[in-house]
Amino acid sequence: MSGCDDYRSMVPLFLDDELSGNDAEDFRKHIASCTDCRQLLAEEQELSQLLHRTRPLYQASEALRARVSRILFSEVHSGVRAPERLRRRILRILVSPLRGFAEPTLRWKQVTAVALVTIMAFLFIPQMLQRVRANAFVETAAATHRSYLEGNLPMEIQTSSPAVVTAWFAGKVPFHFQLPESQQAASGQQAYRLVGSRLVSFKGTYAALTTYNMKDQKISLLVVSDKSAGAEGGEEVKSGGLTFHDHTVGDFKVITWSNHGLTYALVSSLPGSARQSCLVCHQNMADHLGFSQHP
Amino acid sequence: MVFLVVNQENSAPPGINFAHLCSLKWYFWMSHNPNAKQECAAGIEHIDGLYAYAIVLTQNRTDAEDLVQETYLRAIRAMGRLRDDSNVKGWLFTILRNIWLNEVRQRRKGPEILDVEANERTVNLVDEGAQNPHDLYVGKLERRHVRAAIQQLPEEAREVILLREFEELSYREIATVLDCPVGTVMSRLARARSKLRDLLSSLLQKSSPGMTETEAIE
Repeated sequence: MSGCDDYRSMVPLFLDDELSGNDAEDFRKHIASCTDCRQLLAEEQELSQLLHRTRPLYQASEALRARVSRILFSEVHSGVRAPERLRRRILRILVSPLRGFAEPTLRWKQVTAVALVTIMAFLFIPQMLQRVRANAFVETAAATHRSYLEGNLPMEIQTSSPAVVTAWFAGKVPFHFQLPESQQAASGQQAYRLVGSRLVSFKGTYAALTTYNMKDQKISLLVVSDKSAGAEGGEEVKSGGLTFHDHTVGDFKVITWSNHGLTYALVSSLPGSARQSCLVCHQNMADHLGFSQHP
Repeated sequence: MVFLVVNQENSAPPGINFAHLCSLKWYFWMSHNPNAKQECAAGIEHIDGLYAYAIVLTQNRTDAEDLVQETYLRAIRAMGRLRDDSNVKGWLFTILRNIWLNEVRQRRKGPEILDVEANERTVNLVDEGAQNPHDLYVGKLERRHVRAAIQQLPEEAREVILLREFEELSYREIATVLDCPVGTVMSRLARARSKLRDLLSSLLQKSSPGMTETEAIE
């Protein structure tokens, strides 16, 4: 290497620790003897030092840290790791007897027990996964509602028109979602008022979040494809051919149900049983007699 | 319960990284430490860097926070595929960028509603964090100028400057995040620095005008 042009092109490499060995040594020698290249290096270094002095460029807010922290917790606690736990348990059960396989003391009963456990595990894994997904959806709906109440999830679109919300979600979520018009009570007044909507993530895809106000209550409705999660568990309430599942997560009441390829989670802080929660909105509506408690 | 094979330990881990997340010990710590959630929030690894990268991409604080949240969510769900020798930091930045690119594609399909609002928020970003003691220490005016200058760069220049100068990723790591050749990283970096030097010329002339040979090389 000889000309200054070659060394000039090495200046950023040198500053970024991308020169090593003989190249770095060669560069240092040239800089020591060349005023122009030294000046160029100084200018580049000055810019880098200015940028480094302003680190970190931005800092995550406490609210964001809390949000991420909640996610890490809910993911660990929500059962998403259940298959991993199951796998470890199966391994634990399997590995222990198999270690002794070469030993003459191993009896055929042990082998049969291991085989039975394995078969049973594989038979029940799909059902367990289904339950895990349903639970994760309930947890996500509750966590999302909490974030919304705390002001961490502003609505991307604010409107009182279900038609506008339906148009906004078109093409954004991987399912067809049509928001029905707000039901009216017998008095002719709307039982609840649409506030707005936004996208939230669930299981690597998007879910549709819509929020409502009902008197002094804030209510959120989270919708996903039933391929992502079904409605299971909790206290069951039947109405209109649908089965509603009532869960309590912390202070929240989460009611889930599936219909026409979608799964819904309605989250509120309404007190009382599932039936009573449903009747808060539906008590003055034509379908209020349809809500019956499942034994 | 299979988790009881680990020792009971209630002391906080030094920081929450993804190796911890993969370990039973960390799970046990989370389950049994009543202050775990607060301590976890204080020590989430790479969150400032990811947030800065998200700001640089979105130029919008709300979008940036959502992007960071989504990044951690995807990361924790995908960590089973992470090898022990994986570069976790680069992996997180790659996830964040991929989510953003998907988001941009989706938004192009949908209605454009955020432009004016985004610009207003960008202006507000310049003052963000001005009451932080650390800001005062390093000079809030200097940071304000640097932020404003970086926000004026094109997106590809903004991200390469952030990844190199602020996150100190190597050229190869940056190339992986940006999914481009190392040569492209070098040329983008050169263009970005050149433009930044122009934008920050007033600050650069004030600071250390006469460098000695030793200072320049150190």
